[in-house]
Amino acid sequence: MAEFSARIIFFERPKGVPSEAEGRSREKTFIMRIIKNVINNMNGLMQKNKYLKTFKPVLNAMDEFFFGTDKVTTLPHIVDNMDIKRLMSFVIIALLPVTIASIYFWGLRVLLVIMVSYAFGGLAEVCFAIFRKKEIHEGFLVTGLIFPLILPPSVPLWVVAVGITFGVIFGKEVFGGTGRNIFNPAIAGRVFLTIAFPNIMTMHWQMPFNKGLGGFIHFQNTVDAITTATPLVMLKNQGVITPYLNLMFGQSAGCIGETFRIGIILGGLFLIVMRIVDWRLPLAYLATVVIFPYLGNHLIHMQFALGPFQILSGGLLLGAFFMATDPVTSPFTKPGRWIAGFLLGFLTVLIRRLSGYVEGVMFSILLINAFTPLIDTMVLKVRYKKK
Amino acid sequence: MLKPGRTFRGGYEFKNFNGQARPVVVENQIPDLVTIPLKQGFGTELKSMVKKGDAVFAGQTIARDDKVVSSPIHSSVNGVVEEVKRINYFKRQTAMVIIRTTNASKEIPRIEGYSLDWARLSNEKIEELIYLSGVSSLDREGIPTRFKSSIIPPEEVKHLIVHGVGSEPYNISLDLLLKDKNLLNFLEGVKILKRIMPHSKVHLGLNAKKKNIIEQVTKLTSQLEWLDLYPLEPKYPQGYDEMLVPTILNQNFPYGYSAANIGVVILNIQAVLGVYEAVCEGKPFIERVIAICGPSIKDNIHIKVRVGTSLKDILAKRIKTESPARVVLNSLLTGFQLNDINLPIDRTFSHIIAIPEKREREFLSFMRPGKTRDSYTRAFLAEMLPWVKRVPDTNKHGEERPCVSCGFCERACPVKIIPHLLAKHVQRNLIDETIMNYGIFNCIECGLCSYVCPSKISLMKIIKEGQDKLIMQGCDSTQCILPYFNLKGIEEYRGVTRL
Repeated sequence: MAEFSARIIFFERPKGVPSEAEGRSREKTFIMRIIKNVINNMNGLMQKNKYLKTFKPVLNAMDEFFFGTDKVTTLPHIVDNMDIKRLMSFVIIALLPVTIASIYFWGLRVLLVIMVSYAFGGLAEVCFAIFRKKEIHEGFLVTGLIFPLILPPSVPLWVVAVGITFGVIFGKEVFGGTGRNIFNPAIAGRVFLTIAFPNIMTMHWQMPFNKGLGGFIHFQNTVDAITTATPLVMLKNQGVITPYLNLMFGQSAGCIGETFRIGIILGGLFLIVMRIVDWRLPLAYLATVVIFPYLGNHLIHMQFALGPFQILSGGLLLGAFFMATDPVTSPFTKPGRWIAGFLLGFLTVLIRRLSGYVEGVMFSILLINAFTPLIDTMVLKVRYKKK
Repeated sequence: MLKPGRTFRGGYEFKNFNGQARPVVVENQIPDLVTIPLKQGFGTELKSMVKKGDAVFAGQTIARDDKVVSSPIHSSVNGVVEEVKRINYFKRQTAMVIIRTTNASKEIPRIEGYSLDWARLSNEKIEELIYLSGVSSLDREGIPTRFKSSIIPPEEVKHLIVHGVGSEPYNISLDLLLKDKNLLNFLEGVKILKRIMPHSKVHLGLNAKKKNIIEQVTKLTSQLEWLDLYPLEPKYPQGYDEMLVPTILNQNFPYGYSAANIGVVILNIQAVLGVYEAVCEGKPFIERVIAICGPSIKDNIHIKVRVGTSLKDILAKRIKTESPARVVLNSLLTGFQLNDINLPIDRTFSHIIAIPEKREREFLSFMRPGKTRDSYTRAFLAEMLPWVKRVPDTNKHGEERPCVSCGFCERACPVKIIPHLLAKHVQRNLIDETIMNYGIFNCIECGLCSYVCPSKISLMKIIKEGQDKLIMQGCDSTQCILPYFNLKGIEEYRGVTRL
């Protein structure tokens, strides 16, 4: 506790010695002072109350969030300016176009869904941090946003809460928290929901708003909602192929965040250009999805949907750019990334065509997540063969 | 002959750092008091030949021992020996000769026998001049002469690599070192070295971005069939011996040993210029050009300074005092932190870098656009503004977090090991042959993995720890190296480095 308050005091510079940093952020000082006071007061309260003390990780996380660190390097003397907070914020920035578009398509209720997801995901994270007496990690900021994006628009809020809690706890925390999880928490939660509540998760789809301000001024598409099927289901049951342009710009039924595909592509490319995500896995994934149905159609006379449709339907793009590339749960070796991408594409196409489910992306990512350690071990075995 | 440009996989180019030293050299005053370490550069520590009260002149040899691997040490001023004592110098108790200046004349008496027309001198004389001047102790394994200045004799040298890559965040200016006449002197120096190492092939590695210098050198050396010129990407850590050998010679490096063990001598430009000055001008190596870099310095220039000058004399008037600074020797990634300003500089100093010690916290630090921030990722504005200088500081820029296997360290690693994998093994105490197989002893401690890690894990430190633990368990790094290389001079090398 002493260390904590020392850190706070350190922030206050003696009067009359303005530094460069202070000059730049003068306009923010007022807000800063308020936040600092709040944190200080809460800190004081916590010191007095034994029960409140357990919530120290929350306060610490807030403090770190707002004021950064005062630690200095040892060797090397300089370190990269990138940190996990910024890394995660960039993933969120990349998801913003999709999120905004989804509000337009499905109404303001999407915001509520996201808020519920953050609230319960954050709660699970905080509980475990307090329980473990460790810091709160930033991973749930991304999970909490991705999870609502892969749910159907009409999902009841309690299902969101159940799903994200399950995802965070059984997808991540039971394995030891950030960095140790085997499964992508968002995918784990989604799979759980699909299996536990198939009725809710697979039956109710609606067409998006497409006129005027759309969802920005409506809460939900209730009155004139046309219950319809997703493009994949339509293909499977009726053999109807939705026009590509509709798929690209979101004029089709589907999960909250998976329909505005042009936004997903831009967001994914943004992450790749920023070097935050490795390009190998998405490329391998998408390439396999294009090539494999083509080969399949010619070689084994099985009727797979063609590559471009496969790519533009379902959650494939969202999965390829944002979930399969989750660094923790995807292979870290470069050959491993190619292999995982290839297997993902292969499994996705197979599941979509041959199984009763259409959620090929989700199941294949879950499966490949489980195989990730094996892929890495094999690659390492080959690479470091004993001489 | 000009060869196509070369580079290696991994690494990272530090671009546009604020406070690069301008190509101007200013001569520093002769200090009142010099402290001369009796171990400078490559070689064992020597015993002082002078004692308290002796009068010495600039360039006078004050320590020399032809029986051990070493080069002579000189007094750098005219004065009187005040004391000979041991001081903690870079974590090692080193004997120092402290000399009070009596005559601050800039004249340096010459070593006898030098000649501008060096072609007439005998090989022995040239080697003697190089040895006596002290140049032969520069760089990682010194310049081989018949006086045991390096671990191998000059005839055994197969390759001589001279490099001026400048791959560090801050570099000594190549334009300055090779200005005007210096370029010709430098090439003369290379020829002298070729003469004493007759079986060697000479490779010049220069920064590929310095087109005009490469052009000039190409013109001047087109006749020499024993010399190859390679433009090298200035990507850190290209200037390391461990990277120069594979990029230029396409040979594996015996990690943990020195290049001399495989018959390769690697020198930088200042050492070659020193050779020229020793042989053609008879100058002992008691002066050195040092680049004073970094944003905490008032005026970033190069200074010419006598060996033994204390840091105080150099930095007192040059460093900014508004905010605390950290002073680092030679390299921001691996260099020693210079805490004691009374310590002297020696022959091996080439850069003194001062950056702000930034302990103060910053409001919403991770959300800032980052106009002046350097990053391995492209997630800062600085990447889009190539004209804006980047300001380094010592802040960690984030909290330590568990590894998310983002793979930055693997992508940046120049020796193709997977730092985060090794670190995980070491942290879980899984220390056995597996990590040796994963190449833990290949680590050259360049510090790039620690630099790029967004989770702020000190990977280099953890890997070092793992190496130490492995050695404690009886796994020696030699197991990975000795069976695959025919190494020379191992005993001598151990003798020098293990002291």
